[in-house]
Amino acid sequence: MVSGGKFLQAVHFKGVIMTFFFQSLLSGLLTGGVYALAGIGMSVVFGVMNISNFAHGDLMMLGMYMAYFAFTLLHIDPYLSLLLIIPTAFLFGFLIEKVFIHRIIHHPHQNQILLTIGLGLIMSNTALLAFTSDPKILTTSYSSSAVTIFGGISLSVPLLLSFVITCLITGILFLFLSKTTTGLALWATSQNREAAQLMGINVSKMSAIAFGLGTALAATAGALIAPTYYIHPMAGHTFLLKAFTICVLGGLGSVVGAGVGGVIIGVVESMSSTYLSSDWKDVVVFIIFLGVLLFRPQGLFGKKGEQ
Amino acid sequence: MIQHLLYINHVSKHFGGNVAVSDISFSVDEKQIFGLIGPNGAGKTTLFNCISGFYPVTSGDIIFDNKTINKLRPDEVCHLGMARTWQRVKPLGSLTVLENVMIGAFSITHVTREAEKIAIEQLESVGLIDYAKKNAGSLSIGLKKKLELARVLATHPKMLLLDEICGGLNLTETETILGIIREVRDKGATIVFIEHDMKAVTAICDWIVVLNSGEKLAEGTPEEITGNPEVIAAYLGGGHNA
Amino acid sequence: MKQIAIIAVIAGIAAVLPLVIGESPYFTGVLISVLMMAALASAWNILGGYAGQYSFGHAAYFGAGAYTTMILISKFNLNPILSMVAGIVVACIIALVTGSIVFRLRGHYFGLASIAVAEIVRLSALNFDFTGGAQGILLTDVSLWGVDLNSKTPFYYGMLLVLVVTLGIALSLRTSKTGYYLQAIREDQDAAASLGINLAFYKNKALLISAALTSVLGSLYAVYIRFIDTSAVLDLRLSIEIILTAIIGGVGTVWGPVLGAVLLVPLAEMLRSNVIGDALVKQGMVSETSGLGVFLKENLAHAHVLVYGIITVLCILYLPKGILGLLGRKK
Ligand SMILES: Nc1ncnc2c1ncn2[C@@H]1O[C@H](COP(=O)(O)OP(=O)(O)OP(=O)(O)O)[C@@H](O)[C@H]1O
Ligand SMILES: [Mg+2]
Repeated sequence: MVSGGKFLQAVHFKGVIMTFFFQSLLSGLLTGGVYALAGIGMSVVFGVMNISNFAHGDLMMLGMYMAYFAFTLLHIDPYLSLLLIIPTAFLFGFLIEKVFIHRIIHHPHQNQILLTIGLGLIMSNTALLAFTSDPKILTTSYSSSAVTIFGGISLSVPLLLSFVITCLITGILFLFLSKTTTGLALWATSQNREAAQLMGINVSKMSAIAFGLGTALAATAGALIAPTYYIHPMAGHTFLLKAFTICVLGGLGSVVGAGVGGVIIGVVESMSSTYLSSDWKDVVVFIIFLGVLLFRPQGLFGKKGEQ
Repeated sequence: MIQHLLYINHVSKHFGGNVAVSDISFSVDEKQIFGLIGPNGAGKTTLFNCISGFYPVTSGDIIFDNKTINKLRPDEVCHLGMARTWQRVKPLGSLTVLENVMIGAFSITHVTREAEKIAIEQLESVGLIDYAKKNAGSLSIGLKKKLELARVLATHPKMLLLDEICGGLNLTETETILGIIREVRDKGATIVFIEHDMKAVTAICDWIVVLNSGEKLAEGTPEEITGNPEVIAAYLGGGHNA
Repeated sequence: MKQIAIIAVIAGIAAVLPLVIGESPYFTGVLISVLMMAALASAWNILGGYAGQYSFGHAAYFGAGAYTTMILISKFNLNPILSMVAGIVVACIIALVTGSIVFRLRGHYFGLASIAVAEIVRLSALNFDFTGGAQGILLTDVSLWGVDLNSKTPFYYGMLLVLVVTLGIALSLRTSKTGYYLQAIREDQDAAASLGINLAFYKNKALLISAALTSVLGSLYAVYIRFIDTSAVLDLRLSIEIILTAIIGGVGTVWGPVLGAVLLVPLAEMLRSNVIGDALVKQGMVSETSGLGVFLKENLAHAHVLVYGIITVLCILYLPKGILGLLGRKK
């Protein structure tokens, strides 16, 4: 028989373990939401243009700096500054497509990758020259505040806000893609570029819109994590690889897949930090990436036979 | 007794819900010129892709030279002595015509000089030798089809699968290619031949199988097939000017 | 053969070069970098240029060589040559794992997976103890058969030797069955398979050759510098520099990667050591104490990666076949 005291102790212990678990799950979920946004941005570009955008992480980094400077120079709350960042980033992406990417849209895939790598290097190293390599920290009045739910699980307020905004933006994006003429044209282009062109869709405009959207989403994701991460010129690299993992996990080019993939990666990361060590969380993510390639190359949601 | 070189045994191939090839059976004898015809979308190319190892079959067996080959990779099928051409030609664009054919020849030799010798022979036999040093990507469509043929011939195959090798060619070009095909057969190879041009098919084939919407519609000698009202209906119905 | 003669002549010139320029450690250092980058880009080119399989993670093989060698020498006092061989083995194991996962797939995956593998290797080296973690590995003293390895000259000849071997392999592949097969795979995988080419086998073969050569260079570099950490030998930036060098010279050609290295490495060196900024100041065009002068002095050293980025973009847009491609040389 277990004595009463020991029993209570055991229950308490179990409770701590469970709190630990849910704490980790929930914060993973919240971060994953923001990752999902970045993944969706990359997936839109991939779906419509069939290009792996290696500048995606650096576009996120630009979003982080935009939020930072909007806050420090203009005193605009980082979440409010999205209203500024989203249109600016869209325009920036649209122009990048018009000036650079559209000229290589029919080139071999590796050239497209290299061009976006080059653009990314220009962005990150210009940021390095302009802002130096010192990491910046965006501290708002609520940066380190947290709410406690279910007695014991504490969630950071900025993460929570980010998640809510992510859900909002994803919802709007979804409506845009499924209800508007432009959204449907984007979808048609992603299904079959030639057929879309024959149907009278201006596919080169769709590419520019897609890249603008991708950029806006990347910058948004960057701005949303700005209050919780160090902001520095090379911050994009980690996120680039995460965004790729998310896309492959969801099936390259699948928007819904990228959304779910982002959440999965967020949770996996958070769980591996909790139960393994935060040093190894990225390794776990990349091993999952290779595992997906090995066992389910079409992604969790992609159609079979599309390799 | 004649040997069956290729058995197609109740082969089906589905793409999701789309049945491209449905329960097809036939056999090809050694040294035959065997015609595979049917309207657009009948499933001819899909069947070739199954035979040559590019698509896994959904069900059924493919037996070549007494070996079941439907689990093999394309390169393994090629090494058993079966070579195919592509309806949408696939020249190795930045290599020369000679190098394209040498790559075929490397399946039977490891020595570069030897491969070059075989390639030159094949280029001569299809009449491409003057273009040997040209980039394969720069050839006209007619010459690209000839290159397809030269390239598979360089693998010295027992059986050739030719997918619309005369498609888009003019009359004299077609005549040349038919001549080459006959020659190859006389040297001992077996040929399976997909073609839309009925005149070419009836002129050259010993036996014909007709596919329609993935199913086998008829088979027989050229005379039987051209007289078959169902075949005529399928072709007219398919809107094809045979 | 003409090409072999060219290699011999260039190697001959390179061999006597140190005697001509004398014992300038600085220039010897730059020349070693040129030779190393030329060899790295040539090794990458066997896989990326011939077979069309762009690896974005070649730093993994460089790092595998460097780390294995350094660990074996510093912890077990093993002979440098044997440590180098061990490095090749490790690099080949990593290559085989990568290849067996990815070469069954087409399209975008090899590039992406090669980065993932390289990142796994980098993070592992960063997080394990036996690799020295973030501190890296420092080698205080090393010798081989009584040769003084504190001088740069042995490494100059070492790099030269590896470069010559790499070029020799690249050249002999060009005219061999394997080389033709790799090019066929680059041009059209379906056509290649239908002509009897075992795609996975030949891609793996190219990857192994490329990885082994890259790892030798990593070992050599590590013993030369006598200090390594992940940012020096396993960084994504290194992988990208290797590709850029090959691309700018002319991908898929024998001499393109060498040309790329001859152009890019001195350029990067000039930016890094701030030759341009110093020159501008010396010429009196910019005052040393003015805002611009201070900016140039402090920041231009960082600018070499920015310049790489600009060159990449321009090169892909205007010169996708590289300089040799522009000159219209076929092989
Ligand atoms: N990879 C594929 N995925 C999905 N469906 C396919 C695929 N390949 C072929 N099909 C379908 O299979 C059917 C048969 O096509 P196939 O190309 O075999 O016809 P075919 O007889 O060669 O026609 P044609 O004379 O035009 O060449 C078509 O409906 C086609 O859409
Ligand atoms: Mg067909």
